Amino acid sequence: MIQLFLLTWLLSQASSPEAMQHMQAGLEARKQQQVTVEIAEFRKATEIDPSLADAFVNLGRAYMEAHDYGAAIAPLKRALELSPDLPVAHQFLGYALLAQGYAAEAIPHLARVGAQDALGIAQLETGQLNEAVSILGSALAKRPNDPDLQYYLGHASGLLSKSSIDTLLAQYPDSPRAHQALAENYFVLRQMPQAEKEYLEALRLRPDLPGLHLELGQVYANSAQWPKAEAEFRAESQLRPGSAEAAYRLGAALLQQGKAREALIELRRSNDLKPEMPETLYALGKAAALNGDNNTAERSWSKVVELEKDTSLAAQSHFGLAGLYRKQGKTAQAQHEMQEFQRLQSTIGPPRSE
Amino acid sequence: MIRRLTRRTLLRNAGMAAAAPIFNLKPLRGIDFILQNSPTAKKFLIETMPGGVALFDYNNDGLLDIFLVNGGHITESLHVPENFERTNPRYWNRLYRQNRDGSFTDVTQAAGLANAGNGNYGMGVAVGDYDNDGYPDLFVTSYGKNILYHNNGDGTFTDVTAKAGVAGGGWSVSAGFFDYNNDGLLDLFVTRYMEWDADHNKICGGDWHTYCPPSVFPATSCLLYRNRGDGTFEDVSARAGFTAKKGRALGVAFADYDGDGFTDIFVSNDGMQQYLFHNNGDGTFNECALESGAALTSDGKGLSGMGTVFQDYDNDGRPDIIVTVLPRELYGLYHNDGGGSFSYQSLETGLGALTSGSSGWGVGLEDFDNDGWKDLFVAQSHVLDNVQQIDASLRYKELPLLALNHGGRFERADSGVTTPIAGRGAAFGDINNDGFMDVVISTLGGPPMLLLNRGGSGGHWLSITLRGTRSNRDGYGARVRVNGQTRFATSAGSYLCANDKRLHFGLGPVEKASLEIVWPSGTKQLLNEVRADQFLEVREPEHS
Repeated sequence: MIQLFLLTWLLSQASSPEAMQHMQAGLEARKQQQVTVEIAEFRKATEIDPSLADAFVNLGRAYMEAHDYGAAIAPLKRALELSPDLPVAHQFLGYALLAQGYAAEAIPHLARVGAQDALGIAQLETGQLNEAVSILGSALAKRPNDPDLQYYLGHASGLLSKSSIDTLLAQYPDSPRAHQALAENYFVLRQMPQAEKEYLEALRLRPDLPGLHLELGQVYANSAQWPKAEAEFRAESQLRPGSAEAAYRLGAALLQQGKAREALIELRRSNDLKPEMPETLYALGKAAALNGDNNTAERSWSKVVELEKDTSLAAQSHFGLAGLYRKQGKTAQAQHEMQEFQRLQSTIGPPRSE
Repeated sequence: MIRRLTRRTLLRNAGMAAAAPIFNLKPLRGIDFILQNSPTAKKFLIETMPGGVALFDYNNDGLLDIFLVNGGHITESLHVPENFERTNPRYWNRLYRQNRDGSFTDVTQAAGLANAGNGNYGMGVAVGDYDNDGYPDLFVTSYGKNILYHNNGDGTFTDVTAKAGVAGGGWSVSAGFFDYNNDGLLDLFVTRYMEWDADHNKICGGDWHTYCPPSVFPATSCLLYRNRGDGTFEDVSARAGFTAKKGRALGVAFADYDGDGFTDIFVSNDGMQQYLFHNNGDGTFNECALESGAALTSDGKGLSGMGTVFQDYDNDGRPDIIVTVLPRELYGLYHNDGGGSFSYQSLETGLGALTSGSSGWGVGLEDFDNDGWKDLFVAQSHVLDNVQQIDASLRYKELPLLALNHGGRFERADSGVTTPIAGRGAAFGDINNDGFMDVVISTLGGPPMLLLNRGGSGGHWLSITLRGTRSNRDGYGARVRVNGQTRFATSAGSYLCANDKRLHFGLGPVEKASLEIVWPSGTKQLLNEVRADQFLEVREPEHS
C-alpha cells in the first residue's frame, strides 16, 4: 500500500525517466527481497537525480532492511533536507539514529511521527525516565503482548524507582521511608537480619506507617519465625483493617502455627475484602479443612480450580480435594481429583517445597 | 481420646509446671569414639550423612551396649575405587560393652568388629536375631558394601556377609530387620540413597561450595532380602516390587498400618514423595503412598525426608508416621485415619510450628515422661555445614528437639542440651534400666552424646521383651497394647539407627497393666493385672 502510494507520488514528480526506471527497479527488488539490488538501484536513482527526496528515503530504508543503520542515516537526512515534512523519513531516521545509539538526536524525529515505542526507548536511554514510563505505558496499552515493550517498561520503571529511592536516601537518609527502602533492598538480597533492623528503625520513627508491619512480617515469615510474623501482620491488620493482603498474611501465619480457627476467621475476612483471590481461597480451604469445615474447604478449593485451571495452585487444590474426599469415603471423587493433580504435575511439574 | 490426669498435667494446669529438663547430658564413661566424617572442600556428599547408633544387649547380660558406626577417611583426591582407610583404628566402627557401674568398655577388637573394609564408608546399623539363636546380630550399612555380623553368643561376631549374600552395593543408608512373610525368620530391608561415587561428585551453591541437593544425582532402589533360614538370604527386591520403584531413600520404619497381619514399610525419601509399601501378603509389595495420603504435604509438595518413625502417637491403636525434613518444610506427621488412609496433620498437632526452621535426622516416639503419651525426640542439624553463610537465618548446628505429647498435641520442652550440635543418628533405649527412656545421639565430627532421663515425672512404666516361638524370636512385627497404648515391635526407625528392642510403656499413675499382644504368627495373647515398674519378658504361646 505504501509502495503504491510512493509510486503514485513519484510519478507526479517531475524527474528524469532514467531515475524513475531505477526507482521502479528498486521497488521491484524489494518485492523480491533482493536487498543488495534494491540498495544499488536506489543509489543510482539518487545519483541520477540528487533532488529526488523519495530516492533517498528508499535508499535509507533499504539500508535499514539490510540492518546497516549507520549507512541509512545520511540518505535519510538528505531526504529531510529536500523535503522536511516527509513523515516516513522522520520515522526511519528516528529508528536508525536510535539503533546507532544517538537517542537524543532520534527523539524529535520519533516524536514528530508519534512512534511511541521507539520514543519511549529513546527517552529511557537519555534518562527521561518519567516521560519514558508514561509513553511506554501508553504503547503497551495498545500492544499488551509485545515482549520488547514489556521489557522496556519494566526496565524504565525500575530505573525510575531506583532513581527516586536514591534521591530519597540522599536527601532524607534518616526518614522512615529511607529505612524502609533500605530494608526492602536487604529483603531482596535475602539479608534478613539487616532487613529486620531497618524495618524496626522505620517503625520506631513512624509506627503507623502503612506497609511497614506487613513487610517486616514477611521478613519473619521468610525465616519461618511465625509468632513474630503473626504479630506484625496483626499490627498491619489493625492499622489497615481494609487490607485484604494483611488479613491474608495474618491468616497464613496463623495457619502455619496450627491456629486453624483464628486463621479461618482472618482468611474469610480477606476473602470478603477481596473475593476470588486464588491464594486466599487456597489457604481458606486449608484452614477450613483443619477446622473440619469440609463444605467451605470443598467450595474454596473448587473455586481455585475454576479460577486457575492449570497452575500449581490448581494442582494443590486438586490434591486438597482428593484428601478431603478420601476422608469422606468418596473414593471415586478422590481418585478423580488425584488424577487431575497428577495430570497437572506431569505438565507443570511438582509443586516446589516451601 | 481421654486425656490422662498426670502429675505433670496437674502441675501445668496449676501454672506450676516444673521447668527442669527431661534429660541430663551425661558423659559416656569409657567411650572415646569420634565420628570421623572427614569433611573436605570437595564436598563429597557422603561426608554429611553418617552415622548410626545401635542400642542392644549383645551379650545378654541385661545391660544395653552401644555400637557406633564410623564414616571413614576422605581426602580431596578421593577417586574410584575409593579407599577410606577403615583398617586404621581411628576409622573403625566401635562396640562398647556396658559395665555394671554404667561405664563402657571398648570390645571392638575382641568382638571381631574392627575392620569394616577400606572401600566402605560407614552409614548405619540394624539389629535383629536373624537366626533365632537368642543373640542379636548386626547389619552395618555403608557407601560401598554392607556387612552382616553374626553374633556367636560368646562375645564375638563373625562376618558372614559373603555366605549370607547381603553385601548389596552402592550407597546404603538405613536398614532394618523384619519378617515380611511371617515365616518366623527375620528378613532384611536396606534403603539406598542415590547413584553416586567420588568420580561423579558435584559441588553446588556457586561461590559458596555446598553439598548438592539429591535431585542432582540419579535415583536408585531399595533392597529386600528374604531369610532362607539356613544362614543365607535371597535378594527378592525385583520380585517384591522394589527394584522398579526408584527413589532417594534415607529412612525406613515398619508397622502393619492396615491391620491385615503383614508388616508394611514406610520409606522416607529425600526431595521427593515418600513411599509407603503395602505388604500384599504374597511376597509382593504395592507402593501406595500417594493414594493413601502419606506421600506429600497437604499442599501436594514433596519432602526432604530423612529420618522416620512409624508408631501410634495419639493412642488410637493405629501406627502413624513422622518424617524429619529440612528447614522451610515442616516435619511431616501423617495420621493413620484407618481404612488404609492417612492425613497430613503437621499443623494440627503443633509439630509444624516447632519444626519449620529445623533440619531433623534421627527421630523417635517414646514416652519420656511416662505419662502414657509418646513424646517426640529429634536429632537436628542442617545438612550444609556452611548454611549460615548462605542463609543467615539458618544454623548448621542445632539443639535437639524434645516435644512432649499432650493428648496428641506436641509442645516443646527442655531437652537439657544447651549447646547446638551436628546431630545425625538418634537411638532410644533404657540405658540404665531405671524405667525411663534415654537417648544416644551421634554427632558429625564429634563424640556420641548420652541424654540420660532424669525420671523426674515419677510415672509408672512397663518394659516388655518379646520372646517369639512360632514368630521370629525378637517378636518384631507384633502389635502390643498396654492400657490403651499401642507399640509395634521393631528396633528399626529413626535414621541409621537401631533402638532398644524392649517395648517401653509409660503408665502414669497406674500401677497395673493389661496387655494384648498380637504376634506375627497371628496368635493373640492377653495378660491382665500385670504389675507396673518391671522388665517383663513375654513368651509367645507355642500353640494358639
